[in-house]
Amino acid sequence: MLIVIELSDEEIVVRIGAGKDPDAEAEFCRRMGPRIRLYGLRHLRDQQAADDLMQQVLMTTLLALRECRLRETEKLASFVLGTCRMMVLDQRRNVRRREQLMEAWGADLPPTVIFATPRLDQDNLARCVQSLKERERAVVILTFYDEEAGPDAARMLGVTEANVRVIRHRALHQLRECMGVRR
Amino acid sequence: MNCGAPLDAALLADYWIGALGNEEEAAVEEHVFACEECSARLAEIVELAGGVHDLAHSGSLLMVVSGDFLKQAEKNGLRVRQYAPPVGGSVQCTVTAEDDLLVGRLAANLSKAKQVDLSLCDLQGVEQVRLRDIPFAPEGDGVVWQQSITFAKAAPTSSVVARLLDVDASGGESLIGEYTFHHTRTLPGPGAW
Repeated sequence: MLIVIELSDEEIVVRIGAGKDPDAEAEFCRRMGPRIRLYGLRHLRDQQAADDLMQQVLMTTLLALRECRLRETEKLASFVLGTCRMMVLDQRRNVRRREQLMEAWGADLPPTVIFATPRLDQDNLARCVQSLKERERAVVILTFYDEEAGPDAARMLGVTEANVRVIRHRALHQLRECMGVRR
Repeated sequence: MNCGAPLDAALLADYWIGALGNEEEAAVEEHVFACEECSARLAEIVELAGGVHDLAHSGSLLMVVSGDFLKQAEKNGLRVRQYAPPVGGSVQCTVTAEDDLLVGRLAANLSKAKQVDLSLCDLQGVEQVRLRDIPFAPEGDGVVWQQSITFAKAAPTSSVVARLLDVDASGGESLIGEYTFHHTRTLPGPGAW
């Protein structure tokens, strides 16, 4: 069972650096894992690659924390983000290093890195998308079907890309409201 | 955990589709990595984007699409069935089990139109559905109308008259073009809505 403990980023850094602390390590992975995965999805556009990146970044950063290599304990998030950026840049050159890390640390990773993302109600989403105005629906569909569709949407609507952005923002807020998302 | 300066969902969507400049993108990433609430919101946006993508890919929406959308769909492996009746004319059409998207190309000069509605009628001229204020490029050569493939595959043999209407500020309408689609059911079973 996953036990979520309320620790600040600084407390996590200090506790992991102080010695074997499975609770702090599990909390570190629970907190940072999803963020690393989102970063991977955004930059790699591939679920498997994003999962791999998450594993590699967690292993690398956890090792650094165990060895007290993060001096500024309040900069945990920046440290993890920096590692993500570096790893995406070095992805191809680092194949061998990753394999070594997986061999050395793969079995040691806390078993809490399982992320259940809420599943969308696809029928409700279809109803909400169909309820948008025609131009808003077109922009939302074009945008999320092909993320480089900004110029296409602008041409199709006979407006500027800045206008497309305004329409997209308005449509997204309506869509989320229709889906019952409050935050 | 509450965020003192939550990132707007629309900004996160812009980040997700790569529509931000480098500095703004870096700032969003710094924030998301340090904020549980905003990273959860980003995850929700990613989920929503994926859901919309799947919906578009399913071909089940009744809407107006672009030529580039159809090219992307074909690139993604979808089989697109298209019909292009002449203005004022008709076309015999059908849909098979292998088709993924069904579209009608409605050729029209829209250069002077301000608002265009697409009205879908039966052969008696009774309107069944209206798509109001559809997107169109004034310099383009018409409109690409996507019929729901789910609807079309369930449909019995029937006809649809698509009308493009120029709507003025006072609500008055004038006909731009009329296109008739005679659908013959070729899938097994009687078809029913």
